[in-house]
Amino acid sequence: MRPVPTRAETPASAEVLAVRASGVHRAFGGVQALRDASFAARPGEIHALAGENGAGKSTLIKVLCGLISADRGTVEIFGQQVRRVVEPAARRRLGVATAFQELSLLPDLTVAENLLLQDPPRGRLGLVRRSRLAPTADAILRRYGVDYIDSRATTADLSVAHRQIVELVRVLAQEPRVVILDEPTAALPDRQVEWLAGHMRRLRDEGCCVIFTSHRWREIEQLADRVTVFRNGTRVATRDRISESEAVTLMSGRTLEGTYPDVAALPVGETALRVDGLAGGRLRGVSFELRQGEILGVGGLAGQGQRDLFLTLFGARKAESGALRVGGEAVTVRRPKDAIRAGMGIAYVPEDRKAEGLFLPLSIRDNVALATLSRRSAAGFVRRGAERAAVASIGGQLRIGGGRATNQAVGTLSGGNQQKVVMARWLLTDARVLLLFDVTRGVDAATKHDIYQLVAELAAQGKAILFHSSETEEIANLCHRVLVLREGRISAELPGPVGDADRIVAASLKEVGDA
Amino acid sequence: MNVDMARRFDTVTPGVRRVFYAYAVAAAVLTLGAVLHPGFASWTSLRAVLVVAAFTGFVAAGQMLVVLVGGIDLSIPWVLNGAAIVLTTTSLGQSSRLPMALAFALGVGALAGFANGMGVAWLGVPAVVMTLGMNGVLQGLSLGLSKGLTCASCGSYAPQPLRDLFTGGVAGVPAALLVWIGVALLMTVLLTLTTFGRRVYAVGVNSRAAFLSGVGVRGVTVALYTLSGVFAALAGIMLVGYGGQPSLGLGDPYLFESIAAVVVGGVSILGGRGHYLGVVAGSLTLVAVTTFLQAQRVPEYGRLMIYGLVILVILFAYGRDRSHD
Amino acid sequence: MREFMARLRLVPAQAGLGYVVLVATAAAYLVVYTSSLGRFPTSFDYLSILNTMLPLVFVAIGQSLVVLTGGIDLSVGGIVSLCVTVTATTVTGTGLAPFGWLLVVLALGAACGAVNGMIVAVGRIAPILATLATLSIFTGLALWVLPVPGGSIPPVVRNVLSNPNVPTGLIWLGVAVGGWLVLRRTRFGMRVYAIGSDETSARAVGVPAGRVKLGVYALSGLCSALAAIFYVSTTTAGDANAGAPFILTSIASVVVGGVAFTGGRGSALGAVAGAVALTLVIDVLFFAGIDPLYQSLFQGLFLVVAVLLGTAATFLTRRRRATP
Ligand SMILES: Nc1ncnc2c1ncn2[C@@H]1O[C@H](COP(=O)(O)OP(=O)(O)OP(=O)(O)O)[C@@H](O)[C@H]1O
Ligand SMILES: [Mg+2]
Repeated sequence: MRPVPTRAETPASAEVLAVRASGVHRAFGGVQALRDASFAARPGEIHALAGENGAGKSTLIKVLCGLISADRGTVEIFGQQVRRVVEPAARRRLGVATAFQELSLLPDLTVAENLLLQDPPRGRLGLVRRSRLAPTADAILRRYGVDYIDSRATTADLSVAHRQIVELVRVLAQEPRVVILDEPTAALPDRQVEWLAGHMRRLRDEGCCVIFTSHRWREIEQLADRVTVFRNGTRVATRDRISESEAVTLMSGRTLEGTYPDVAALPVGETALRVDGLAGGRLRGVSFELRQGEILGVGGLAGQGQRDLFLTLFGARKAESGALRVGGEAVTVRRPKDAIRAGMGIAYVPEDRKAEGLFLPLSIRDNVALATLSRRSAAGFVRRGAERAAVASIGGQLRIGGGRATNQAVGTLSGGNQQKVVMARWLLTDARVLLLFDVTRGVDAATKHDIYQLVAELAAQGKAILFHSSETEEIANLCHRVLVLREGRISAELPGPVGDADRIVAASLKEVGDA
Repeated sequence: MNVDMARRFDTVTPGVRRVFYAYAVAAAVLTLGAVLHPGFASWTSLRAVLVVAAFTGFVAAGQMLVVLVGGIDLSIPWVLNGAAIVLTTTSLGQSSRLPMALAFALGVGALAGFANGMGVAWLGVPAVVMTLGMNGVLQGLSLGLSKGLTCASCGSYAPQPLRDLFTGGVAGVPAALLVWIGVALLMTVLLTLTTFGRRVYAVGVNSRAAFLSGVGVRGVTVALYTLSGVFAALAGIMLVGYGGQPSLGLGDPYLFESIAAVVVGGVSILGGRGHYLGVVAGSLTLVAVTTFLQAQRVPEYGRLMIYGLVILVILFAYGRDRSHD
Repeated sequence: MREFMARLRLVPAQAGLGYVVLVATAAAYLVVYTSSLGRFPTSFDYLSILNTMLPLVFVAIGQSLVVLTGGIDLSVGGIVSLCVTVTATTVTGTGLAPFGWLLVVLALGAACGAVNGMIVAVGRIAPILATLATLSIFTGLALWVLPVPGGSIPPVVRNVLSNPNVPTGLIWLGVAVGGWLVLRRTRFGMRVYAIGSDETSARAVGVPAGRVKLGVYALSGLCSALAAIFYVSTTTAGDANAGAPFILTSIASVVVGGVAFTGGRGSALGAVAGAVALTLVIDVLFFAGIDPLYQSLFQGLFLVVAVLLGTAATFLTRRRRATP
């Protein structure tokens, strides 16, 4: 193999393409993830890759870095052809470093081992010097200004945000010529997004080719020099400038009007859920009321107990103290089963639908019916007719799968449709209290729009909705009222719709007046 | 196969597709046997295969249930053996004591399975460890309490009605076969038509999501291990009904055979996928292979090697779990 | 000292399980032995324990490597049987000749393991199933080599491997432990943990998972061959069923040694401790005057209780860390 030019020798002229893919096809089983896809990126640019869920962005990225093979088509990195599955060692020599969407950290290894897995410090006889691992890793973390992360910690014990940062540092530290970041900001708090943006710009200025994907248009607008839009596994456009609405139309094939529904117009009714002094996990005593028809936002910096609040309310985490009243009736919720049955019913829609919501190999019908099986059964037998009818009706209401058969496996559906399947399961329970935890995480623009409409519709039907999102903007625009959590307590309550996300951020940073 | 049929076959879930494969393999093995060894396809020979396969089938039923939720039951050998010993020692060969003895034997199986389930679901002991430990515990208890099967009551035979049933049969159909048909019906109904069955598959595919959907994951797990214990005990009871007396090590061959039958039957070892009808075919295939090789007078070493190769070939054909690219 | 304590706390409770259990069992052994015989164990006792446990120690090391990658190797039983029969029938002669044959046996074991590795890594078949099938094949081969128990081993081999008077076994134990310590400090060693922790991610960051797994199963086969050699050396004869008991006991050793079944956590040293503890338990039961018929009862309880203790310890340390 001929020696690969180092970064300094690479001519920065626009003629040489850093990455070029043409005519790439790739199928998974029956799903055609990429069809005749093409893509090109230059050195010294930040290139955004946009597209709906399932458009094939991640698949393209995996083909580009040689992790999976293309069924057809060619991929070139700095003019050098990447064939089939590239040997890991060769992949590194190509100078491509990738941060994958599903993160690729090894949970049982320490941060240091993760950072140095491919190139550990060695001593005599070429043996790894285990005592040098942590110091070497510390130096790397310091270099990237993130030495608040403990290099000796087991990766599984880190917060999601810190894990994402380690993943990014692992990629940056390879000093690659091509950096590919697949949804690097999905799990990052705003401040770390800035940190990452700084490094992306620096790499670009050093002549590196930076490719990234995101479902947040703001980031694409601020960072990208060029944007390529994918749809159904093919490239539909590459532009220097592109407006959000035009991009959404290119991605989804439809035009969306008005991002957020008008929640202020929705009437609010009686108290549906009353929480008194809830504590446990990170919660240090949280009290609030949630009314029927109300969308109550839960904001604050990442990791202030939002997740524990939702899980505890749903009985998926143990409460140490606190009382719960659903529709005026005192209830004890020890496990999700209790929550589903409690008073008017509580439902929880998780953010990570693949891990916590879906049964991918099972059919749409099995997935949707699961939480309400016993309501449609006689002597332990499933009443299939009733089940089919119920699933068909809710499926039609939510337009799941464009009217496809309900015996189709959920794994074959697009991300948006999968999210709807989870929603449908909970709507079937007729629960009047809905806990929506970051349901728009990693969801494309069009589906987000659908979800906003759905949430407003549900509120209009009188459901009480507790809403958290990692995108503060959504909380600011979609909620009647916003609670700000800080260190497990409610530190502020803002009347909504707040409109301006910065006001919530400002409130999140303010110290708690002990009350 | 034309395109339309191919497409229809495609919408069949992989689990169901594997059931077809399992039957195709069973049919292939039986046909091959009939061609190579005239007489293999005769009713007497087939009947013998079916009866022996029934025992594998019972044990595999329990094994399948725990495999469906991603577990495994290594305690089968001594649950089976223990139940067999309990049956003969409590019945003392008397017909009048048979109902009580049956209840005791099945109770032992249920209790062992229940303990396994509790250990796995509530105490978080890995299934391999819990059931391996249970196997040791039951082995020790069986050997110790029966003084190595030399105790006074240990020489007893199974009560006559039980032996008549299993050596004779009902209207010319072997009783083991009838029970097997019953078990197959029960398993299929339980897994495909009931809410319990739905929950089992949900837990097997994604137990966290099942828990968050209000499924009592622990309850389901305990129930499945208990059932596995009951099925193993059932196999033990029928084996002594068939053979008259229990022996030490009666259950040993069934440990790995039950796992093999489950997998040859198209059940995913990772859980969440598979049907008992496939396991029926799997049990048939394995027993047919062994019986055929015996009929051909292949020495034991050859039987073992061919048996292993057959399993390997089947694994390569459809026993792979979709994993990395 | 502070540094050391800090480091101790970072050792996950489960990983230390094997050593704790070993110390407890060894103490129990001393107590039971002295109280039943009225004297301390002699060097002869230690030697015989050492020689009986070596085969299990080796199998447990191999098994632990496989379990660390998230797999399981049921075929150790078959490989041990096969290598036992080959050793007992072919290793003859005087001088250096028998040792040449021993190398052949080791190569055979490694080759059998490599076959497993190929099936698992290239054929992508679940380890438990792949090794279940090869278990049958290897056992069949063993029966073909030696249909009835028999064979022999030259005294010169015995003197070197398991001398009843000189603790040569200690040297071999040291070699095994040293081998692991070196392995742990190679890139291969790091990769073993990486694969066990999350294979998909490991592949994504460039770990050649296929090659590493192939290596791990081959090493497991090699360990089984070593175990077989020591087995024949102590029992002085071969038996085609010799390997069967090692399947479950090696798994038990790994478990007691605190290696996580999900892979990625634990160490072969823990498994060694587990194997020694399991061997000692039998002696403890013997000197405590417990009917040998009940032996497996206590072994089963021992296994479950040891693991429960490990789980409880992990749980407690988690709790302590969570509430500062
Ligand atoms: N390993 C796989 N097995 C089966 N199908 C797959 C696999 N990976 C991707 N797919 C399918 O290929 C299609 C494209 O997926 P891909 O992950 O590339 O989309 P994406 O654009 O990255 O979406 P998102 O924005 O949600 O990350 C989807 O329909 C997906 O279900
Ligand atoms: Mg993606």
